Amino acid sequence: MRAFAVGDTFTLVRTCDPYRPIYYAAASGDFNPIHIDRAVGEAAGLGGVILQGLCTLGWAVDAFIHYLGDPGKVARIQVRFSRPVAISDTITFSGKVTAIADGRLTAELSAKNQRGEDVLKGAVVEGRL
Amino acid sequence: MALDPKFVGRAYGPFTYEVGVEKLREFAYAVGGSIPSMGFSGVGPPSDLHPFLHDKEAAAASEYGAVIGMPNFAVVFAITPFSKACTDPELGVDLLRLVHGEQEFEFLQVVRPGDVLTTRGTITDISAKKSLDFLTVTTESHNQRGEVVVRAKWTAVIRG
Repeated sequence: MRAFAVGDTFTLVRTCDPYRPIYYAAASGDFNPIHIDRAVGEAAGLGGVILQGLCTLGWAVDAFIHYLGDPGKVARIQVRFSRPVAISDTITFSGKVTAIADGRLTAELSAKNQRGEDVLKGAVVEGRL
Repeated sequence: MALDPKFVGRAYGPFTYEVGVEKLREFAYAVGGSIPSMGFSGVGPPSDLHPFLHDKEAAAASEYGAVIGMPNFAVVFAITPFSKACTDPELGVDLLRLVHGEQEFEFLQVVRPGDVLTTRGTITDISAKKSLDFLTVTTESHNQRGEVVVRAKWTAVIRG
């Protein structure tokens, strides 16, 4: 069995390619026009389309799966969406394990764009060991 | 226009969703960086996608016995009460001013092909801070065996 330890870190980098909000819309069912229609995104004051926040959450989950090694052991995630993700943004997810107790592992996660701005805040993930 | 807190307690559902393996794969492909298309694109899974999320043989040999959903596949079947609340004509939310503010998921059971998932939700908070309105819906989803699969808290922020 793998050894997990408090202080472990993990990282994942994802870039929002021009079709990602459309692919995610197709898979998730979230076809809100602010994600797929540039004119609507601009009219809403977003400067174009933005990625679904729940896709960013999905990337955070994927970052944790890569560390944990088993998607079925992800027990919890909590995030605040602090800034939209735009086309061509590159997001770096950095996790740090803060606690291991009673068969449960907790990690804090940051998600920053290429300008160093947080797109998620207060992100916490938990896994079953 | 501020949302009326009298709607706290309003319930939506039950809503039922039946899980299929290709949909689980497509969702994982889209999040993982590939194209959510089985027959048409032929691109296949992202190289670093966990095998339990798409590979039938690897998944069959796991403790789950079948391909499982990405935990956040919950967005597909558990979001309905939140969507219904955001589009409830009596609440009158302006969707173009709505953004997703916060999200919590608690995953208690994996999701497998053939599962029949039933979700119920309730508006648990309506509050205002400065020019922002907050609308929170809390949901619980069960599978066909009556097990709780996922509990979630969905919070929308509506700009004034």
